[in-house]
Amino acid sequence: MSARYSLLTYIAVAVGLGAIALAGNAFLIQAAIGVAISAILALSWDILSRTGQVSLGQSAFFGIGAYGSGLLTPQFGVVLGWVAGILLCAVAAILIGLVTLRLRRLYFTIATLSFGLSMQVLILVTPGITGGSTGIMPPVLMGGSPPAQLLLITGFLVVAAIVSDIFLSDRFRPAFFMIRSNPALAASSGVPVVATKIMAFAVSGMVAGVAGACYGGLYGYVIPEDVFTPNWSILPLAVSILGGMDTTLGPILGALVLRFLEEIARHYVGGVGYQVVYGAVIILFIVILPRGLVGGLRQLLRKLARRDAVPARSRSEAKA
Amino acid sequence: MTDLCVSGCTVAFGGLKAINDLTLTIPSGAITGLIGPNGSGKSTFCNMVSGQIPPSGGRVRLGEKDITGWRSDQAVAAGLARTYQVPRVPKELTIGEVIGVPFRYARSSRELPRQMSTTADLARFCGLAPALDTACADLSISDLRRLEIARALACKPRVLLLDEAMAGLSLEDTAQVIELVREVHAAGITIVVIEHVMRIIATLCQHAVVLNNGRLLSQGTPEVVLRDPAVREAYLGKGFGP
Repeated sequence: MSARYSLLTYIAVAVGLGAIALAGNAFLIQAAIGVAISAILALSWDILSRTGQVSLGQSAFFGIGAYGSGLLTPQFGVVLGWVAGILLCAVAAILIGLVTLRLRRLYFTIATLSFGLSMQVLILVTPGITGGSTGIMPPVLMGGSPPAQLLLITGFLVVAAIVSDIFLSDRFRPAFFMIRSNPALAASSGVPVVATKIMAFAVSGMVAGVAGACYGGLYGYVIPEDVFTPNWSILPLAVSILGGMDTTLGPILGALVLRFLEEIARHYVGGVGYQVVYGAVIILFIVILPRGLVGGLRQLLRKLARRDAVPARSRSEAKA
Repeated sequence: MTDLCVSGCTVAFGGLKAINDLTLTIPSGAITGLIGPNGSGKSTFCNMVSGQIPPSGGRVRLGEKDITGWRSDQAVAAGLARTYQVPRVPKELTIGEVIGVPFRYARSSRELPRQMSTTADLARFCGLAPALDTACADLSISDLRRLEIARALACKPRVLLLDEAMAGLSLEDTAQVIELVREVHAAGITIVVIEHVMRIIATLCQHAVVLNNGRLLSQGTPEVVLRDPAVREAYLGKGFGP
């Protein structure tokens, strides 16, 4: 994707979410905060998936981000506390990566899943440090003003989008895709495969940690079940697949559409049944658009371009 | 002078020794043909020296460097590049992107001659007709083989291993790839050709090495080696010698 499209994406995100923050509708602001946090988390998952590693443990980084920033902010202040909390995610990713990224795909996925599940247990058995099951009370972001929180989180989303685009640049994209489809070929092309995978995992962990830190600062109260739930591992996967993998726009668009579908299903079906309808709609989307919304849009644009191009050629041929 | 030298190397898969206490040297600046019947250890040799399978014993040397047990990317940095028999390049990448990967990542200290110094130059040098932004999914087998050679050359190697680079090509394409290998050699790169077709070995190589059951069976000029009764016996069985 060219730099112009990337810039357009950042502007669309900033203007769209910024407008919602300024318009002041409380429901829309809460929905937009949810969309932005899902989008950041989905971008974190997508960055890693470009190296062929499917993570089912993003909830661990989400939780470490929330807990790390929440526990360290009172000690070091907001900026250093967040930086330290997010660096903690990178350290966790590097340690886990050193052990698991030599494993083949499925084993890595299972390892991340168990990492995600074990983090919650770790919190529960260390009440002295982490508050255990009663949770913690992180400082509330932006004095608890939802519009200001949305603006801040929008800023983080733009940063996450820039990070994602850096990993889609010529420097990284071909090497990542080569690692994904043929690691031996990548190594024979000079790419340090395991180190590159660990680096991608660390960056992915940090971006997921930012999403978690944002979430933890929303209400000033976090319990382990809130942030370490497997939902935070499944959501980024569903969002990225729905929106379109290997893109920056896909996870953002996916987060928006998923939330939209969820609200519509809740409105028309209600109760618990809405989740079934919502799940069915996601499956339908994936069946119809296997390359996600962005892939479908690209295909449509290509088709339109071809339809425009063909008559133009036949016209010029007729003239000749 | 030798560029690539293995001594006392063994690679075992369970009870099978694919490479069995092998010692051989690849002369510097030559095109060496590596031949042998199916299962003789040619591909394992390739995987072993290029860092994919570490030998369980012995040493692998590239020039003055001992590269035994080095990873593939480290072997590339030391100056050893290889092509793959079945080129499985990511379909979503373009020709330019594939050649660009080693240009960005390979840490070889060598420089390529001017006619190979950029992605576009290399593609032209290797006779890749499609544009650089052509997706690999749209390439013919002949272009995939040329792309594989271009990708390996972008590693800036001193030694290039070609693993059956001509298999499955038409006679015309084979002749062109042979010409390409000669040009690469003329640029000062030592070449090892793994090949099944004896005619290619006879016309292309100055030196030939024959493996059988993971051991060195014979070596010398192609004429001498191809007349060696032991080689004929390994290929055809007893009773077919002259």
